[in-house]
Amino acid sequence: MKSDVVSPEGFRCDGRRPNELRRFNCDMGTASGGYAGSGADGAAYVEQGNTRCLVLVFGPKEPSMRSAVLHDRATLSVEFNIASFSSGERKTKLRKDKRLLEMASIIKSTFESVILMSSFPRSEITIQIQILQFDGGSLHTAVNATTLALMNAGIPMEDYVVACSAGFGNGHPILDVNYTEEGMDVPVISLGITPRSGKVILLNLESRLHLDEFEKVVTLARDGCTQMHEILDTAVRSSAEALAR
Amino acid sequence: MSGEQFLSTSERTFVVNALREGIRVDGRGAYEFRGLSIELGGGGFGSAEVLLGKTRVLANVSAEVVRPTANSAEGFVLFNTSFSPMASPAFEAGRLTEEEVLVSRMLEKAVRRSRAIDTEGLCIVAGEKVWSIRVDIHVLDHEGNILDCACIAAISALLHFRRPDVTVEGDQVTIHPMDERNPIPLSIHHIPICISFGFFDKGERVVVDPTHLEEQVQDGDFIVVVNTHRELCTMSKAGGAGLDVARIVQCTEVAAAKAAEVTELIRGALTKSNEIKK
Amino acid sequence: MGRKEKPEKSTVMQVDAEETDDITPPVVVVLPGEAVQLPSNVSTVVRLGPGLRQDADGVAVTKAGVLRQTAQGDKVWVEGNQRRYVPQLNESVLGVVTAKLGENYRVDIGGPHPASLGVLAFEGATKRNRPNLEIGSLVFARVSLANKDMEPELDCINPTNGKADGFGEVKGGFMFKCSLGLSRSLLDPSNPFLQHLGNICPFETAVGMNGRVWLRSDKAKQTILIMQALLESETIPYNKARAHIKKFKTELGEK
Repeated sequence: MKSDVVSPEGFRCDGRRPNELRRFNCDMGTASGGYAGSGADGAAYVEQGNTRCLVLVFGPKEPSMRSAVLHDRATLSVEFNIASFSSGERKTKLRKDKRLLEMASIIKSTFESVILMSSFPRSEITIQIQILQFDGGSLHTAVNATTLALMNAGIPMEDYVVACSAGFGNGHPILDVNYTEEGMDVPVISLGITPRSGKVILLNLESRLHLDEFEKVVTLARDGCTQMHEILDTAVRSSAEALAR
Repeated sequence: MSGEQFLSTSERTFVVNALREGIRVDGRGAYEFRGLSIELGGGGFGSAEVLLGKTRVLANVSAEVVRPTANSAEGFVLFNTSFSPMASPAFEAGRLTEEEVLVSRMLEKAVRRSRAIDTEGLCIVAGEKVWSIRVDIHVLDHEGNILDCACIAAISALLHFRRPDVTVEGDQVTIHPMDERNPIPLSIHHIPICISFGFFDKGERVVVDPTHLEEQVQDGDFIVVVNTHRELCTMSKAGGAGLDVARIVQCTEVAAAKAAEVTELIRGALTKSNEIKK
Repeated sequence: MGRKEKPEKSTVMQVDAEETDDITPPVVVVLPGEAVQLPSNVSTVVRLGPGLRQDADGVAVTKAGVLRQTAQGDKVWVEGNQRRYVPQLNESVLGVVTAKLGENYRVDIGGPHPASLGVLAFEGATKRNRPNLEIGSLVFARVSLANKDMEPELDCINPTNGKADGFGEVKGGFMFKCSLGLSRSLLDPSNPFLQHLGNICPFETAVGMNGRVWLRSDKAKQTILIMQALLESETIPYNKARAHIKKFKTELGEK
């Protein structure tokens, strides 16, 4: 018997309401001192429900490949990895899995538009993303973690990017889709906005969603981003205040 | 890009100024597609050559019997894109450009992940023999919007394709040659059409089917794959100028309308090629 | 017109494309390798233009095209229609500044090599007072050095009087590319298309012999229509020019 994404009483499989975000937790920088050894200039760790993501930022630094040097701005390189222990069953990661390259490319294009690339000509900024535990929403969690890591590294940005996902399951738009729901054939929109302008800079949909439902779902995702913005804002400010003391 | 000629500031500014006046450099309106011509059957069943303005893409579908993964009862659909160096000085033989990867990914998402093709229907003997359908895309001329053109070529070729008929009697699998028994078309659930948008003037101006010049000048892009049932199959925007949600919703409506037009043209081309055979 | 006796072997010299004028009919198409009969009413010296070469046996064709000669018969050449530009001395070209290297700008003129334009090669330029071109600027310049072994050089000065005379940075407007044949025909003073268009709607134009044409008019729409009209004019004979331009009249005339 196929279970409903949203039960008749209005609860989802993990007990949330349709427009409820998962529990969010983050740790900016090297507060625990754990990442200093890798030489990372910035780091952030984010938990969105059971999805856990770690992002390390290196740079601006000397480019690793001479051929990739741009004379008037920095080059951005992004690596996206999913740990083999991250999902239900252990999978050895396929090198250069197209899907991972695709995620990396999406994140690269997104952040290239907000980072002030022309501040650092002829240098390289590297972003390494590691999904440590995977329970759906890895794209938007990675985007949020990347935003925090870039801020932690002091890389100047025009605005930052906050992201969230929303889906559609048996008649209801639902916010922050988890892995089980993704498996129930729920189409998922991952949305990233720049909070200051409120404009969309990232939009990703890979499963069928009827046009008539689109506006509802994308609006919900946008509201989710606004909520994420407040959460991230609070986290960044308290982290900065802790340093300022 | 190496090999390509440098774009002057005058050209860049002019494209945007013209859009502010409501006209595009080639005289088109913002939501107008270039002339689209679809020729089917030039290389037998499953071959399509599509001309979108001056952009030219050739698609070829072929099928072979293979072993499925594990004990699955589903066949495969594989895409292979190659950007010929004759299409543009920016393409070098053997070197994979970012654009090539993008086109390849989008085609996979648009056709395979949206389950346009019934892969269960490609099964011959579960766990042992399935059909593997391969779509080869060759980009022959690059005058902008390779993606939409390649998608039309791929879908037209898949719709036109006929695979050999198969009978399974107990352990005996017979693949009938094409002249013995009529070959069978693929079972296609829906026709996904890719519509690319280009943005200019900080997201204020939107156009469909950008030319090569417009692609070089645009502030950002937005890709929508939609079918005639008004289902969005894929949407992709990453980076570039930010867009209002309202603008995005408007684009999806435009995309749906355009997709309907393009689907009609594809159907027309299929009917024409069927008539020729009779 | 005095006629001199024709010597046994005419001395021939290579001449650059700019000097060709006075085109006379009829149309004779030649292919590489064909021998050319020099016109009989010729003076001592016949100058060979592009597409022809003198070898031991006489004059041979090296490029496919239409064989042309001046009315006096003293200049002969082959008119081809290629798209790739090969720089020739004294030709005016439209280029895009791609880099600033010390005392020179690197300019892309669509030829086999990028050209260099001296920072001071403008009218009245001194070390303290000189035009500052940005990367991406358009320049209308003259080829001042075109040697097959060296990178071509440009300047923005008319060599006879030291003045700019239209050369220099070109701002605004739009530039489009065309075949070399079309750009040559647009430079022909007897070309009626430009005149007819100018009668309907005012515009400025700079035609580079490297297959690039720059246009500027009040409205982008007019520029686009003029560009379409000119591109289509390539295959239309001069006597049908009026009819062709008439089609654009209503749209161009719109305010």
